[in-house]
Amino acid sequence: MTDAETVSRARAGDPDAFRLLVERHSQAIFRLAYRMTGNEHDADDVVQETFLRAYRQMGRFEERANFGTWLHRIAVNCTLDLLRSRGRIDRRYGGDPEEAEMTAASSDPQQDRLLLSAELRDQVAAAMERLSGNERTAFVLRHFEGMPVEEIGKTLGIQVNAAKHTIFRAVRKLRQSLEPFVRSSACNI
Amino acid sequence: MQHLTEQELVLHHYHDDESPAAVAEHLGSCDACRTEYNSIRRVLALVEEMPVPERGENYNEQVWSRLRWKRGSERRRRATWQLALAAAAVLAIVFFAGALWHARSGGQAILPVTPAGQARLPVLHEQPARDRVLLVVITDHLDSSERMLTEVANADAKRGIDLSGEQKRAEELVASNQFYRQAAAHSGDDRLATILSDLEPVLLEIAHSDGKLSPADAAALQRRIDSTGLLFKVRVITAQKGMTSI
Repeated sequence: MTDAETVSRARAGDPDAFRLLVERHSQAIFRLAYRMTGNEHDADDVVQETFLRAYRQMGRFEERANFGTWLHRIAVNCTLDLLRSRGRIDRRYGGDPEEAEMTAASSDPQQDRLLLSAELRDQVAAAMERLSGNERTAFVLRHFEGMPVEEIGKTLGIQVNAAKHTIFRAVRKLRQSLEPFVRSSACNI
Repeated sequence: MQHLTEQELVLHHYHDDESPAAVAEHLGSCDACRTEYNSIRRVLALVEEMPVPERGENYNEQVWSRLRWKRGSERRRRATWQLALAAAAVLAIVFFAGALWHARSGGQAILPVTPAGQARLPVLHEQPARDRVLLVVITDHLDSSERMLTEVANADAKRGIDLSGEQKRAEELVASNQFYRQAAAHSGDDRLATILSDLEPVLLEIAHSDGKLSPADAAALQRRIDSTGLLFKVRVITAQKGMTSI
């Protein structure tokens, strides 16, 4: 049964149909929420809240739309609400923070990925932690979710150019944190 | 053409640049910019591997179980409010009817002259409303307990069980469980009293755990829940009480 058919049944009040939607999408929503929050328990809460909101708003869902996309938008909003409540997201775009110098390196991306060790994974997680709430959100939405910058701007309540710049700042910080590790793993090839 | 800025390269990577063809052409002919661009791509490829904690095989079931419980709680909370409002309305009507009757009877003593049927009427109306409210809160308690038992029963005991987020809730459930158990015994509902009595030590164990159960303790707790059929009993009685209350 496709998502569209399942949604129709869920809207008609079939609880098993909604259960099927939960089973299909909960892992993906968890991944998105975890990438945005960086916290397992927060991500679990977001998953829960997302499906609860989806259930309540089922009547507003347009059946022609993609259920997964709709659900992801709800999840993004739930996560932003959570981050805002913790003061991890700026309510207003605050301009350019201090930026540091960076170094450049060169090696083969595919080889780097193969050499990814547990330690390196920790470094990636730590690098993501160093991003501000806005940077992390904008980056995750663009990089992992493929959300257009215009939509990211709307989601965060900032201009398109500011959204582009926020993504750029995130990438710059990630390079600053991770390039030495990319270089060292490249040296081991 | 001048070298591309880092920002232009990032925008190009995400296809957010305004003149991608010009940037691509430059990258084809400029080694320095190509090296820089590859460096960005390499870091972003690394980020792609950002670790995301694994969720267990039962995760979907856990999400669904919590969701069902939350929706049930919302429904019951609404029902409780509706019943409370209805009870308040009944009491208000009774009060005004009494006041009106009192005024018409010239302020004489009420009880001796009131026909028996009129005096007992509010009592007959109030009792079922109070019982229904009680039934709703007991169902809510059973539902919360069922959810907690389900989480423990479905957890992967080999990895131990993290109960740090459940302790406070378990403590509250222990307190309410004691109250409902006594109330059930007092009102002669032996079946409910027995199940609540079986439930209490399990809730106590969760409430008094040190936040995390070792794999051995977790397995023991799961065996205890399983061997007594506690989860099944709680589910059955929750369903029965739920049907009676709504």
